[in-house]
Amino acid sequence: MDYGIEQRDLEAVVRLRGRLTFNDHARLRGLIGEMVQNRAPRQVLDLSSLEFVDSAGIGMLLIAREEMTNNGKELVLRAATGQVKRVLTVAQIGKIVTIED
Amino acid sequence: MPTRTATAHEPARTRFAALHGLAMAADRLARLSESLALPLREEPAGGGGPVLAVMDGPAAAGDDAFWERPFAAWIEPEEPGAAAPVTTLAAPLPTLVARAGASDLYINLTTATANDLHLAGRVLTALTARRALPDGLRDDLELALHEAISNALVHGNLQVSGMKELSTAELERFSRDLVERLADPALAHRRVEVAVLVEGDAIVVEVADEGPGFVPAPQAGQGASGRGLDLIATIAETMELKDGGRRIRMRFPL
Repeated sequence: MDYGIEQRDLEAVVRLRGRLTFNDHARLRGLIGEMVQNRAPRQVLDLSSLEFVDSAGIGMLLIAREEMTNNGKELVLRAATGQVKRVLTVAQIGKIVTIED
Repeated sequence: MPTRTATAHEPARTRFAALHGLAMAADRLARLSESLALPLREEPAGGGGPVLAVMDGPAAAGDDAFWERPFAAWIEPEEPGAAAPVTTLAAPLPTLVARAGASDLYINLTTATANDLHLAGRVLTALTARRALPDGLRDDLELALHEAISNALVHGNLQVSGMKELSTAELERFSRDLVERLADPALAHRRVEVAVLVEGDAIVVEVADEGPGFVPAPQAGQGASGRGLDLIATIAETMELKDGGRRIRMRFPL
């Protein structure tokens, strides 16, 4: 998985690309650090270019959400498609995190 | 005590016609060919029956072509004279080849090699090369394979416990444990076995590891970890844990 961050006034949009799995632990740690550092109160993870996510990847997204809450920020998961959308649905992540189309 | 595998008494499904080496030294490959009474095939794409790939690490197995027909089994044999104890999964090569013969697809690799190759994706490549799958089923199978294999590698063989709390400290602990244990030769050398049976109306996959086993927790799925088995249970028609949690059998309807 890799990512790019687009900084706007009120939100930072992080576009995730590729596959998010347990092997991405180091990259996710780095990303969470960057999301805590930047000033935007709303952190949007744009999942439209993410091709695959596993249960550990979902766990890491939940850790990101927790960390944003602890820092007074909101996390939004946006534009998931295909397998990623299916896993978010099956694991009922919408009960815990804001999901937008 | 040797454990009987589920497929041990079933009739042979795959009769190997040849052997192909992936990053395997020529003299060692020649000895394996002789001991298995299987001819070497330098150019496997030529057709002529199922091919058994023997590999020495992940180095030469990156190309998708090595995971498609005519390949039907991928085994990383123990080093000759290795001090590692014989286990169910680290059995002598002829035993593993017999087990491969009882499956349609069979893989037996070390944890280090399986992790390096992102094995679940390779299994999916091998499966889809044999059988066209609708997109939805393909995605579900990929996830179930990935979850079962990463459970076997991460929690089984490497004995890294899941991320229990939703905290970056716990993510760091997971990260550190995973890196440390992959660097431990004894753990990284433990094996993962994948056996696939393609039936008329279903695909049956078994994944086994050499870890300590586990008992599924009733309250899984509350922290950052523990969703993998639930996802498999949702996707698969049936799911069964065996051998104290070291083996999972999943059935997917076609």
